[in-house]
Amino acid sequence: MAVGNEEQSHKAHRSRQAGPSAKKGKSSKKKGNKSDAKNQNPKAFAFNSNVKAKRLQSRAVEKEQRRLHVPAIDRTTGDPAPYVVVVHGPSKVGKSLLIKCLVKHYTKHNLPEVRGPITIVSGKQRRLQFVECPNDIPGMIDCAKFADLVLLLIDGSYGFEMETFEFLNILQNHGFPRIMGVLTHLDKFKDVKKLKKTKKQLKHRFWTEIYDGAKLFYLSGLIHGKYPKREVHNLARFISVMKFPHLSWRTSHPYILVDRFEDVTSPERVQQNKKCDRNVILYGYLRGCNLKKGSKVHIAGVGDFSLTGITTLVDPCPLPSAAKKKGLRDKEKLFYAPMSGLGDLLYDKDAVYININDHFVQFSKTDDENGGLTQKGKDRDVGEALVRSLQNTKYSIDEKLEKSFINLFGGKLNISSESVDCVQNSSGGYEKIHEENTSDHYRYEDSETDESEENIGNPNNTDVSGASVKKKAVKEFATSKTQLNLSDDEQNDLSDEEVPSRNNLKEHIEIYDGRPRRRAISDMDVDYNDAKDSNDEDKDDDHGDDEDKDDDDDTGDKSYFGSNSSNREGHEGSLEEVEKGNASKWRDSLLERMTLRQHTNLAQLVYGTSKSVPDVSYSQEHIGDEESEDDDFFKPKGQGGKRKLTEGVDADNVNADDCSKFTNSSSLKDWKNEELIKMIRDRFVTGDWSKAARRSQLSKAGSGSDVSDSDNDDAVYGEFEDLETGETYKGHHTVTGNNDALHKEDDSIIEERRLKKLALHEEGNGETGEKFHRSRANESGFFEKMKEEVELQKQMNLAELNDLDEATRIDIEGFRTGNYVRLEIHAVPCEMVEYFDPCHPILVGGIGLGEENVGYMQVKIKRHRWHKKVLKTRDPIIVSMGWRRYQTIPVYAVEDNNGRLRMIKYTPEHLHCLAMFYGPLAPPKTGVVAFQNLSNYQASFRIMATAVVLEFNHAAHIVKKIKLVGYPCKIFKKTALIKDMFTSDLEIARFEGAAVKTVSGIRGQVKKAAKQEIGSEPRKKGGIPREGIARCTFEDKILMSDIVFLRAWTQVEIPRFFNPLTTALQPHEQTWQGMKTVAELRKEHNLPIPVNKDSLYKPIERKLRKFNPLVIPKSLQAALPFASKPKEIPSSRKPLLESQRAVVMERHEREVHKLIQHYQLLQKAKVEKRKHKDAEKRRALEAERAKEQQVSRKRQREERRERYREQEKLKKIRKASDA
Amino acid sequence: MERICDDCIVKINETGTKVKYKPGIVNGGKRLEHDCGVSRSIGYFLEPLLVLGLFAKNPLSIRLKGITNDSKDPSIDTFMSTTLALLRRFGVPSEGLELKIECRGVPPRGGGAVVLSVPIVRTSLTPVIWTDEGMVKRIRGVTFSTRVSTQFELSMIHSARGVFNRLLPDVHISTDHKVGEQAGNSPGYGISLVAETTSGCFISADTAISYGIREETGEIEDDDRKDLMPAEDVGNQIASILLEEIEQGGVVDSTHHGLLFLLCALCPQDISKVRVGKLSPYGIQSLKLIRDFLGVKFDIKPDPASGTVILKCIGLSFRISSERTTWSNEMQTSKLACWNNLFSDTSLQTSKPITNCWLICRLTMLDGYNGQAILKMCC
Repeated sequence: MAVGNEEQSHKAHRSRQAGPSAKKGKSSKKKGNKSDAKNQNPKAFAFNSNVKAKRLQSRAVEKEQRRLHVPAIDRTTGDPAPYVVVVHGPSKVGKSLLIKCLVKHYTKHNLPEVRGPITIVSGKQRRLQFVECPNDIPGMIDCAKFADLVLLLIDGSYGFEMETFEFLNILQNHGFPRIMGVLTHLDKFKDVKKLKKTKKQLKHRFWTEIYDGAKLFYLSGLIHGKYPKREVHNLARFISVMKFPHLSWRTSHPYILVDRFEDVTSPERVQQNKKCDRNVILYGYLRGCNLKKGSKVHIAGVGDFSLTGITTLVDPCPLPSAAKKKGLRDKEKLFYAPMSGLGDLLYDKDAVYININDHFVQFSKTDDENGGLTQKGKDRDVGEALVRSLQNTKYSIDEKLEKSFINLFGGKLNISSESVDCVQNSSGGYEKIHEENTSDHYRYEDSETDESEENIGNPNNTDVSGASVKKKAVKEFATSKTQLNLSDDEQNDLSDEEVPSRNNLKEHIEIYDGRPRRRAISDMDVDYNDAKDSNDEDKDDDHGDDEDKDDDDDTGDKSYFGSNSSNREGHEGSLEEVEKGNASKWRDSLLERMTLRQHTNLAQLVYGTSKSVPDVSYSQEHIGDEESEDDDFFKPKGQGGKRKLTEGVDADNVNADDCSKFTNSSSLKDWKNEELIKMIRDRFVTGDWSKAARRSQLSKAGSGSDVSDSDNDDAVYGEFEDLETGETYKGHHTVTGNNDALHKEDDSIIEERRLKKLALHEEGNGETGEKFHRSRANESGFFEKMKEEVELQKQMNLAELNDLDEATRIDIEGFRTGNYVRLEIHAVPCEMVEYFDPCHPILVGGIGLGEENVGYMQVKIKRHRWHKKVLKTRDPIIVSMGWRRYQTIPVYAVEDNNGRLRMIKYTPEHLHCLAMFYGPLAPPKTGVVAFQNLSNYQASFRIMATAVVLEFNHAAHIVKKIKLVGYPCKIFKKTALIKDMFTSDLEIARFEGAAVKTVSGIRGQVKKAAKQEIGSEPRKKGGIPREGIARCTFEDKILMSDIVFLRAWTQVEIPRFFNPLTTALQPHEQTWQGMKTVAELRKEHNLPIPVNKDSLYKPIERKLRKFNPLVIPKSLQAALPFASKPKEIPSSRKPLLESQRAVVMERHEREVHKLIQHYQLLQKAKVEKRKHKDAEKRRALEAERAKEQQVSRKRQREERRERYREQEKLKKIRKASDA
Repeated sequence: MERICDDCIVKINETGTKVKYKPGIVNGGKRLEHDCGVSRSIGYFLEPLLVLGLFAKNPLSIRLKGITNDSKDPSIDTFMSTTLALLRRFGVPSEGLELKIECRGVPPRGGGAVVLSVPIVRTSLTPVIWTDEGMVKRIRGVTFSTRVSTQFELSMIHSARGVFNRLLPDVHISTDHKVGEQAGNSPGYGISLVAETTSGCFISADTAISYGIREETGEIEDDDRKDLMPAEDVGNQIASILLEEIEQGGVVDSTHHGLLFLLCALCPQDISKVRVGKLSPYGIQSLKLIRDFLGVKFDIKPDPASGTVILKCIGLSFRISSERTTWSNEMQTSKLACWNNLFSDTSLQTSKPITNCWLICRLTMLDGYNGQAILKMCC
C-alpha cells in the first residue's frame, strides 16, 4: 500500500511568488525555522519507547477527563427566567450609558434613566434583565450573587481600578458567571500606537484574571453622546449567543431579583406609628430552583423572613410565542422596567402608575371582531382569551347594567318600573360623561359603585328589562363584569404591553401632567372573589346551550354565590340542568369530577387537620347514592370500603402505641377458604399470568389518566361491576395470557425507549453549539452514559409531573423557576421601605435546608494576597456566603498532624489556614469572601480574605497551648513537691499522670496531691495547710532552682457573635458600621497598646558562675595512679630564687636606662599630640566637604530640572509641529 | 440517641407529659453500644437509627442490646430480609450495610444483641419509580426458638406451609434454634416470612413483599400463660397475614410504609413514585410528620383498579451537609458532624406520660427545619 502511495504523484503546491502573501509566507517560515527545531528533524521527537508513548497517551486521556464535569440535571422546565446581565464598573465609566444603548438597540426606546432591573425580550427564546451594579461593596456582593453575565466596564484611558478586581474576586467566590470586559473611554487616546499598546496590556491583564482568551470588548468612543450603533450591535450579538453555566449554589437555591417593590401596609397603621413594621410585596422572576410553599427567604441586607404569601403572576414580559416566525416583530419587543418608569409602569414609592399612550385609549369592539379573534387566538394569552369569552356571553349586558344600577342605590331590593325609567334617564346622562371620557381622561375610583357607574356609562348597555334579582349576587357579578371589561379594553389597546398583575391591582386613573395615569393599588381580596366569580360564570356558559334557559342559569348563579362551599349545590344544579341535554357528555364530566374529588379526599384524609373533611365527603357519598342509581354505577370497585377504613384509622390512632406494625388479627380471613385463595391466586407466579399483567397495565393506565383525558378515562373505567347482576365487565378481553404479558413487557420497553429518545433529542438541542468542535467518539463511554441517565431522569420527572394538575404540582414541587412571582412579606422593618433605592437591587434568596440555623462554621481561609496586613484572631470580619453577609468574629487555627486544631493568633503569610466562626450555617463547599472595611473611601484593596466552607458544627474544638509553671518546694531523692502549679487538689487529680519537665530538661510525671503535712509547714508548727502542692517524680534529682513546666492544651472559646449586614436598612450612601476592631477602638480612644513587661525580650545577662574548687576525696586520691593524682605543692614553700633575687645596675647602666625611659616618654607624648592634630584636621576637612557636596547636589538638581523642562518643551513643540 | 449525636438535649419533665428536644449533630462512629431496655424491642430503635445512620458523618456501627423479637415491633429477621433490601433499592451502598444477630432475646427479659452497621450515603439517595409489584415468586422465612424445644419451630413451619401449599410450591422456611448464651434470658419462639416477587416477565427481580414476625413469648413463670398461642396457630396466622399483605398489593408491606415515604422524601429533587396498598395508620402518621418537619408533600392518588394507592413526591435533596471536604490529609475518625439542625426548641406535649424517652428517636429522623411545628404525638 505504501508503495502505491509513493507511486501516485500529486500536483505539487506552487507557492506564490509575488504579492503580500508571498512576503507573509517568507517571514512566517523564517520565524518557524528559527523557533522550533521540531520541523528540522521530526523523527527526533517521535516516541522511541512505548513506555513514554503510554505515559503521554494516559496524560492526554487524563486531560480529557479533567475537562469533563459531572452532568447535573437541569430541573428547570418551561421558559427560563430572563438572564441577568449585570453591568459593573467604577463610577463615571459609562455603565448606565451602556445599558441605555443596549436597551435602545433591543427595543428602540430611549431610556431616561437606569433604575432597577430592566427586562427586555432580546430574541424569540431569550429575555435579558439588565442591572446596573451599585458601586459599593454590599451592592457588588449582591450583584455577584445573581448575575448570569457580567459586563465589566473598564475605563481604558485610566486602566483597571480596584473595584473591578474586587468584583472579580467576589464573583470567583460566589460561583463564576460569564464575564465579558468592555473597554470604554478609548477616544481619549490620541496616539494610535499607545492605544494599541494599552489595549493589549489591559487584555492580557484581564486574561490572567479570568482565563486566556476571555472576551474583552472595545467601545471606541461616543457618537452623539452614545456608543456607536455598530459596536453596541456587536456587543448585543455576543450577549445573545452566550451560554450560561449552571452554578451549583444557584441551582440548589431559589432566588429572586426584585424588579418591583411595594409597601402595602395599611396607611392607618403607618399614620399611627411611623416606625411600625411594614408589609411589603416583592415581585420578580423566580430563578435557581423551585420555591416551595412554606420556605423562608433571606432578603439581602435586611434579614430572614417567612413568606406570608406567594402567587404566580402573568409574565409581564413574556417570550413571544414560538410560532413560525423569522424574527421578532416590533410589537413583540417588549420591555419591562417598573423601577425605571418604563414599560408603562412607573414605579413610585407608594404607588405604581401605568402609562398609556393617548392614541391607544379606545374600546374594544366585542361582537364584530369575533371571527378575527378566534384566528388570532393562539397568539393571545389565556387571560385575554378568558376576557374575550366573557365579552361574548350569552346573557345580555343590559341585565347586569340594570342590576348594577340597583346596586348604586344601595338599600332597595326591588326596583319598580319608575326607577327603571330613572335608569334610562340617567343613562342618558351618563352618556355625556362617557363622551367626556373618550375625549381624554378617565377617572376610576376604588369603590365598586363607581366602577359599576362607569359600566353604565358604556354606550353598549342601553336596553333595560324589568327583573328583580337578589342584590348581592348581582352586585358581585356586575363588578366582575365591569372589571374584566375594563381590563379587556386595556388589553385590546396594549395588546402586548400588558399590565403585569391585573389580578391583584385595582386601578385608579388620574390625570398627571396632562397624561392619563392609573394608579394601581393592590387589593387582593376583592379581585380574588371576582376571579372566582368569573370562572363560575364561565362554567355556566359552557353548560347552558340554550338561550332560553337564561333564567335557569341565573338560578344556578344564585346558588353559586349563595353558599361558599357551593360545590355540592352547584353540582346538583348542573345535574338537573344537564339531564335535559346530552347525557353522555355530562357523564363524562361527572366522572371527571368524581375522580377529582376522590383524589382530593384521600389527600385530605392524610393531610387534613380536622376530621370534618372526611365526614363531609362521606355524607356526600350518601347523598349521591340516594340521588341516583347512576352515580353508584360509576363508582369504582373497592373505593367506598377503603375510605371507610382509612377514616376509622384516622380516628383511633391518636392513642395508639407508636408502632410501625399495623395488624388487626381479629379480622383475619381464613386463607384456607377456596374463594379467598382464588382471589389472590393471580398474585403468585403459579396463578394466571395474564390477569396479573392486565392488572398492572390497568393500574398504569389509571395512574396516567388523572389529567382526565377522556380517552384514558375509558381505559380506567372499563372495568365495572354491575351491582345488580354481580357480573363483572372487563375492559379488554385477552386472547392468551402469555401474549398479554409480552405485550406488557413491550409497553414498558417502548415507554423507556420513548423517554430515551426524548432525552437524546433534548441533549442534542442543548449542546449542538458546544459539540461542534468536539468529537463524540473522544468522550468516554462512562460520561456519555451518565449524561444519558441524567437526561432520562429529567424526562421521567417531566413525564410524571405533567400528569398532575397545577395545584398539586405546586404543592409537591413548589413554584417553578421562570415564573413571575409575587412575594408578600410581613413585618419588615420600616427602614427598608424608607431607605429603598431602586438603584440598589434587592436580592431575595431562598434558604435551604438547615441554613437558617446558626452554629460554628469551619472554613479554609486564605488572606488575599493584595490585602496588606495579616489577619488577627478575634478581629471582626464581614463575610459573605450563600445569600447572606454578616459580621462575625473568627478564630484562626491550623490543623496539627494529629488532627488537633491549634489556634493561631495571626494568619500565616502565604498559606491557607482554618477559621472558625459563629453564624448562620452554609453547606460545605460554599465560597466565602471576607471584608474588614466596607468604606468607599479606602484606597487599598478591600477584600481581606477568601475562603471555602469545610464543615459546620454545633461545638468548636480549637485548642491553644497552655504552660503551667511550678517551683519545687521540697526535694526528696527523685521526687519533688511542686507548688504554684495548681491551685487545688482537685486540679491535681485532673492532671495525675501528666508529663512535666524542668527547664534543665529533666522529665517527670505528676503523681498525686501531696499530703498537707509534707507539703507545707507542719501544722504543729502553726503552718496553714495549703492545697495545690503536687508530688512529682523525675528521672533525676532536680534542683531547688529548677522551674517545672507542665504543657497542656486548653479549649479556646469562639465568640458567639454575628451581626447581619443590614445595609438596606440605612441610607445607601452611608457606610455600614458594625463592630470595630480592637485596633480601631484604640486609635479612636487614643489608647496605647498595652505591653506585658514579661513578654518583652531583654538582653540575656548571664552572671559568671563561681565554682568551688574541686575536691577529690582522700580515699579516691589514694586509689589514683600517680600521674592523675593531684600534685600537692606545699604552700609553705619559699618563693623561687629568681624572683627573690634583686638586680643591681651599674651607674652607667642606670643612666642609660634612665635616658631611654625619658626618650620613650617624649616619643609617647609626641605621638599623642600628632594624633590629636590629625583628628582635628580631618574633622574640619569633612565638614568642608559636606558643605560642598550639599551645594553641588543642589546645583545638579537645578540643572536636571532645567534639562527636563527643556526636553518637555521640545517634545511639545515637536508634537505640535507633527500635528 | 445522645450516643450518636452531639449537642442534642432531651429533656423530659417530672410528670413525663412534656418533652423538650433540642436536636444536634449526628455523629456516627464505630463500636458503639447501647442497651435498649426491655420495654420495646430493638426493631423499634432500628428503624430511625437506619435513617439517621445514612446521614451521619461517619459510618455507624452499633451494638444494640435488648429484645430482638417481640409482637409489637418488626423483628430483626424482617430487618435483615426486607428493610435492608428496601434501603438498597434507594441506592444505599450494600457493602457496610449489615445487621448481625449475636444472640436472640425475647420479652420480658430480653438478652438479645444485634450489631448494626450502616454506611453513609456519599452524595444522596437515588429516587425510585417503583410501581410494579409483580407476582410472588418465592416465599422464604425464618423461625427461631430460644430456650424452647425445636419442635415448636417445626410445627410452625408445617402449619405455615400448609397455608401456602395451594398457592406456591417454592416455600422455604429455615429454622434458627438458639441455645445457651445466644438464646437470651427468656424462652420464646417465632417466625418471619418473606415473599419475594417478580414482575411477570422476570425483568425486575428485586421486588420484595415481606411480612414481619409475630411471636409469642413463653413466659413460664408468669400467669400470662393462658394467652400463649400454640405454634401451629402462630404459623397459620403469620402465613395468613402475609397473604393479606400480598393481596393488598403495593411494593412494600404496611410495616414499611413509613420508612418508604421517609426515604422518598429524602431523595434528590427528582420524582419518586411508589405504589402501596392500603395506607397504614403509621404510614399516614409518618406522611403527616414528613409534611410538618420536612415540608415534603406527597401526591396521593388511589388506583381504583387494583385497590392500591400511588404516591408521588419530589425529594428534598437531602445530603450530609457536614461532610468534610477532603482537604486535610486524614479524616478525623470521631469528629463532630451535623446533618440536621434543629428547629430551635420544640416542645412536645402529650396527653399521657411518656414512658420511654426513646420514642423521640423516631422524631429525630423527621426533625427538620421549620421549628414551629408542634407534634401531635401519641405515646
